[in-house]
Amino acid sequence: MTPTLIIARLTVREAVRRKLVAVLLVLSLATVGLSAWGFDRLAHTHSVTSGEVEIALPQALILFMFMFSFVVALSASAIASPAVSAEVESGVLQTVAARPIRRSEILVGKWLGLALLVAGYSIIVAVLEMLVVDAVSGFLPPNPVAVAVYLFAEGAVLLTLVLAISTRLATLATGVIGVALFGAGWLAGVVGSLGTTFKIPALRVVGDVARYVLPTDGLWHGAIYYLEPSGFVSQRLAEEVGAGGNPFFALSPPSWPYLLYAAIWFLIVFATGVVSFSRREL
Amino acid sequence: MLPARSADGPARSPGSRSGSAPLIDPPAADLVTASGDSRVLVSPAIHTIELRKAYRHTVALEALSLTVERGEIFGFLGPNGAGKTTAVKLLLGLAHPTGGEAMVLGSPAGDVETRRRIGYLPELFRFQGWLTAREVLLLHCRLLKLPSSRWAVLAREALSTVGLSERGDDKVAGFSKGMQQRLGLGVALLGDPELVVLDEPTSALDPIGRHHVREIICALRSRGTTVFLNTHLLEEVEHVCDRAAVIDRGQTIASGTLAELVGTQASVRLQVSGLQAGWWDGLSGFGAWAVEDGWFVVTGIEEAKVPDLVRAIVELGGRIAAVVPEHKSLEDRFLELLGQS
Repeated sequence: MTPTLIIARLTVREAVRRKLVAVLLVLSLATVGLSAWGFDRLAHTHSVTSGEVEIALPQALILFMFMFSFVVALSASAIASPAVSAEVESGVLQTVAARPIRRSEILVGKWLGLALLVAGYSIIVAVLEMLVVDAVSGFLPPNPVAVAVYLFAEGAVLLTLVLAISTRLATLATGVIGVALFGAGWLAGVVGSLGTTFKIPALRVVGDVARYVLPTDGLWHGAIYYLEPSGFVSQRLAEEVGAGGNPFFALSPPSWPYLLYAAIWFLIVFATGVVSFSRREL
Repeated sequence: MLPARSADGPARSPGSRSGSAPLIDPPAADLVTASGDSRVLVSPAIHTIELRKAYRHTVALEALSLTVERGEIFGFLGPNGAGKTTAVKLLLGLAHPTGGEAMVLGSPAGDVETRRRIGYLPELFRFQGWLTAREVLLLHCRLLKLPSSRWAVLAREALSTVGLSERGDDKVAGFSKGMQQRLGLGVALLGDPELVVLDEPTSALDPIGRHHVREIICALRSRGTTVFLNTHLLEEVEHVCDRAAVIDRGQTIASGTLAELVGTQASVRLQVSGLQAGWWDGLSGFGAWAVEDGWFVVTGIEEAKVPDLVRAIVELGGRIAAVVPEHKSLEDRFLELLGQS
């Protein structure tokens, strides 16, 4: 086993041993269970027309997935913020770093372990939620795999940033920065949508800039797009007044140039983290 | 008892950290002498020249120059804040020097592969609290790339060596500081390292534990392992070290064998009768004389000259009731060196 995989394995093992995985899964399964009941009620209500139910189901699913995306992002920030800083502060990392292992291998291993956790959670929760909704209401988003991938990508972006910051700042400061940036990024996306709707260029620029500074909101909109039903429902949603300003609606998926930019952003932040950690005095 | 360690493989050629010419000559290795006999000469375990570490507003290490030969137990002494732990971190690559050169086991300090041959017990010994002691040891077996077939045996041996056999399957989080330090020592000894760096290895141990650690260090010496003992406990150095260096404010202020460090000068207390007052005036060449509580005290006398002094007093007609040589302790010398005595 390579040093990187040893550290990745250790990271995953720690999350399991500290019951982080169990807690997240139990809470999420409970939420999925509650959502099953809610979607069942919604799908079988007689107080609205079937057309209205068709519109309501995807919107409700997007809201639920937003909650999960929030959990993914916060969890990514929470597990990444102490990954380096806390171990440096406690001295745990000294004994590991004094072994025949490069700093880059330690950081890549930690990222890999944390990314596996985020990926596992994103995929399990997203797929489970969509399957449950399909089972009780008959609505299945057109591309569930893309939804899970975008959800993971959003978490991975925040994870990478927080891990990089963790190589220099203390745990608490790193965690606060991660959560604050994620929240600010989402809010800037809403502001940008409002700018588009009400034709206010300055607000639109805020949203655009934010999506490039931190691509979490841009990637979340990818998940939204693939949660929306194809065909006439999305068409109707698009025609609604103010649909563009709805933070839970996406007219189009992220463009390939934007995805390429997000990949480059990821590589730069990741490399910055590696260099920063390599130069860190332990 | 394990056999003495033979010379290791060819030493690596040293390189410069910054790309400039290294200050240190390449370590000798596998040389054949002029007379034709083949001898393996190995580089020192540690060799530094003017090693320096400066932060923005502080100089942690001014210019550390020292050599630790293979197979010796080397004491690294100094008051708190002298730069001892900084020096250790530089040697292991945990911190980066701002000047000077350091070679460890024939390679530039911090060389990743060389760390396979180094065991390290940090001053701040902390391990993953959610692992058991055995799992911590297995983790380090993996990191050292030791053969997996031996991991279980090595972990068991390490636990036994440091007296944790009964607690091997307990979580480290439940360990006392002393037990964690013992575990750290076990981790440092894994893989039969050529160099063991111990940073304050008994700081959390009770007297029995300290004695046990000294025994372990002596056992390491008997199998040819070099031990770099960073401590401010002079007693520890006196008990186990072959040589030592004293540093203060980031510089080496003395180094050598313990005898060299302490010096050959001592003092001697005498009870003499049968002589007129001022009889010692003619014996001032032996040292400085004083009278304390009825004893004649000669300070600064060479130990070898004490018999001569006794004979001189007898020749003067003196009757000697008692001769009590007093050796200077390492502590006396340490304080003297630091200008605090």
